[in-house]
Amino acid sequence: MASLQHDLAEEAIKAATSFGAGYAEARLHFNMQQEVAIKNGEFEPPGYSESLGIGIRVLYKGAMAFGATNLLTKESVRELAERVTKNAKASVKQFRKKVALSEEKPHKAKWGAVEKELLEDVEVAKMISSLKEIESELLTSYGASTLPFRLIAINLLLEEKFYANTDGSRIESRVPRVNLFAVLTGMDSGNVVQRFVQTGRSGGWEVFREGRFFERVKEEAGTIVKILKNARKFTPGKFDVIVGPEVAGIMTHESVGHPGEADRILGREGAQAGESYLSSSDIGRQVGNENATIIDDPTIPGSSGFYLFDDEGVSARKRILIKNGKINEFLHNRETASEFSLKSNAAARANQYSVEPIVRMANTYVEPGDMKLDEMIKEVKEGVMIKNFMEWNIDDKRFNQRYVGHEAYRIVNGELAEMIRNPVLEVTTPRLWSSISSKSRDLVFDSATCGKGDPSQGIPVWHGGPYMLLKDMYLGSR
Amino acid sequence: MSTKLSIDRATEEKMNDILDWIANKCKSLGVENYDAITFSELSGQSRFSNNSITTVNYLLTFESMVYMSKGKKRIVSLITSTERESLEKTLERLYNSMITGSPDSEFAPLPKGPFNYKRLYDSDDSLLIDNSEYAARAIDAAIMSGAKRVAGSLQGTMQKVMLRTSNGVDTSDIRTAYTLNVRAFVDKDASGHGVAVSTSIKGLDVESAGKQAGSNAKNALSPKQVEQGKYTLLIGRTVFANLVEAIGNSASAFSIESGLSFLPDKLGSEVAVQTFSLTDHGQVKGGVNSRSFDDEGLPTHTTSIIEKGVLRSHLHNSTTAKKWNTDSTANAGLIEPHPWNLEVSSGDSSLEEMISEVKRGIYITNNWYTRYQSYKLGEYSTLPRDYAAYIENGEIKHSVTGFRVSDSIPRQLRSIRMIGKERSWVKWWEVHTPVLCPDVLVDDVTITRAT
Repeated sequence: MASLQHDLAEEAIKAATSFGAGYAEARLHFNMQQEVAIKNGEFEPPGYSESLGIGIRVLYKGAMAFGATNLLTKESVRELAERVTKNAKASVKQFRKKVALSEEKPHKAKWGAVEKELLEDVEVAKMISSLKEIESELLTSYGASTLPFRLIAINLLLEEKFYANTDGSRIESRVPRVNLFAVLTGMDSGNVVQRFVQTGRSGGWEVFREGRFFERVKEEAGTIVKILKNARKFTPGKFDVIVGPEVAGIMTHESVGHPGEADRILGREGAQAGESYLSSSDIGRQVGNENATIIDDPTIPGSSGFYLFDDEGVSARKRILIKNGKINEFLHNRETASEFSLKSNAAARANQYSVEPIVRMANTYVEPGDMKLDEMIKEVKEGVMIKNFMEWNIDDKRFNQRYVGHEAYRIVNGELAEMIRNPVLEVTTPRLWSSISSKSRDLVFDSATCGKGDPSQGIPVWHGGPYMLLKDMYLGSR
Repeated sequence: MSTKLSIDRATEEKMNDILDWIANKCKSLGVENYDAITFSELSGQSRFSNNSITTVNYLLTFESMVYMSKGKKRIVSLITSTERESLEKTLERLYNSMITGSPDSEFAPLPKGPFNYKRLYDSDDSLLIDNSEYAARAIDAAIMSGAKRVAGSLQGTMQKVMLRTSNGVDTSDIRTAYTLNVRAFVDKDASGHGVAVSTSIKGLDVESAGKQAGSNAKNALSPKQVEQGKYTLLIGRTVFANLVEAIGNSASAFSIESGLSFLPDKLGSEVAVQTFSLTDHGQVKGGVNSRSFDDEGLPTHTTSIIEKGVLRSHLHNSTTAKKWNTDSTANAGLIEPHPWNLEVSSGDSSLEEMISEVKRGIYITNNWYTRYQSYKLGEYSTLPRDYAAYIENGEIKHSVTGFRVSDSIPRQLRSIRMIGKERSWVKWWEVHTPVLCPDVLVDDVTITRAT
């Protein structure tokens, strides 16, 4: 959709080099977003945004500088390259530790996500009629008095990039994504139950149907009503706990993916997203049992975090973060890889032209097991199943985490029993990953927007996993 | 040699051109109401960690926000195009999307201008782009106060805004903002945090922020675990600002309509102790998010949200105001009204006096990752980070770590026992709306931890 003028990227790296940069890269980056939202039966004005600009990063004698503009003329781009290189030169003295990048093979490539129905061809009217259908179904099935607050939005996102660096890489890409976001609030006799729903995939408009977005919202509304009517107050205690794929997914993201980001381990995010309980010498450290194998894979077709080359031009691959309970590898960009004397594993991503690429996850998940959920439930005498969650958080070293159940049940003598309200799992990272006694054969992903960086960059990711049985966990109650 | 840049005449001409193109295109398309806002932003940032600068960033960007309506149909957009042809093409696309859209029963016309604007805040004439020397001064101040490792970022921005509407508004404004976020470590489990916020580089006290981070990191050494239970919580202003921002966002009529607010829809309700008052300032001295007009062109002003514990006003734009049968509070946001700069009224207690009043409590100086089980109920938990201390019988005993605050904001507002007399502006990674904030003492707060 965007007309990315490759010659501007060429001009940028040529100019930066001529001003003295030892290394230069340029990224032309286009983002389009079209959103339609309905709030309690009334449509909000449709929202449309697009941004197109160029980000330039240079290295001068160990000083790293980044700059960006959306003034896309050769003259402006040359001026930007000069300004960025000047900034690097002026700051050399303050770089008390010099920055270096790992040596990587240059690539020339063009890649994209598979799409059948182009997002550019989706009319607002089509999005409106889809939302009308969902809203009407919710009202018919549950009524406005039970679900008084309903905010539902469909987002179409398109990301196109052209990347060039002085190593010789030239890479062009296009990733469309379709997301649905909803906030549903149910109320009954003074009880309030609220649920955030986010689901999405890369691909064209066909994703809306194939992703069962409509069905998902209806199911979520039904669950809220069930919780309002049936869920009982929960008495805290020790239980065997089965967590659903949504909970397993957020656990991998928060307590495996983030602490495994090498920039955090090196302290680069110290004042913002924080550091890590892991240190650079922790490869091989036991942090879970043999059932804990956790993977981050950008190359999964149709995923929200899909990419084949990262924003430093490095070819993407599957990364095994924890293998049978042992730390196996960290997520790297070229800067952190250089510090570890490694090659990058292509984790550098930027969410728009105006920000630098930093270390990010893509699609993080627990490797599934071989059991059926029914078989796992039968294993439990006194337990709880937490299918999904609302509130969650984790400390900035990624050690002390909490997940508060949304749809949750007691398990008694191998069978699901009554629904319970707000069970709280608060646990340390090694204790969590050392408690998996079995896993189902399912692998279900959820879509999310991960925040990191300064300025903050929200980046699309998936996280998921199977059902996991965690032995002997203390559950509190809210 | 430091480089200072400003939004120059050529940039202003470009912004004016963009507004002309938008206005003319809207007219030729037959748009009945339009609102065009163009932003030009210059920004310089130094990020640092392990006592060294890790990257220096520079930005020069243009953005245009365009709102158009015809026959109760509306659309809103954000565009970065600075070329006439592509901008006009995008506006055509917008128009076509709008007319195929749904009419809006909540439609309200844009306010009728022109208006008189009074500017009540200061800004610098130019922006210091390469601010790494200032960042280095913060690092050195933290080290002098005991830090071994220092991380953070210093960001300066200059933003020019021009607004033109079909209802007679044609105005502009400019502001500068500097924010420093510095975190010092003495070891892996002992850290401290400092913040500096100013509308001018001269007013940015980088040394104090560095010193505070360093000395708090030293205080945080040898932390002990804390038992779960109810405590009196001495909430430092950086943490309280995070909660106050949530109160400000909850006051937005959009949040209430969406079920994302824990504040009642009924004005006059008692929502806090009598000593608590919260106001929003469209513009105020020291408020780095000040502007003399909102996104619809109304002159911004001060709005009392909570006065002596009573809910006095929600935050409105023209659309929500019409629906709620009231006046706009000049907090547009074309879709969502939002606070500009929040101020909590000061109390009369010093930090030492508040500590001396605590029988069994905890002092927290920073937090992150605030998440809600229910926005409607204000039920949340958050993770204290950096220096925190256990207080017993009016004295700080030792530093503590590894716990979580799990409570409800409405309950806390009714349980504030003391409010500090000293305040400072807080804006950092976890607090996006600037808040002029004191420390507060709150009773019976639930503390939990991993088992």
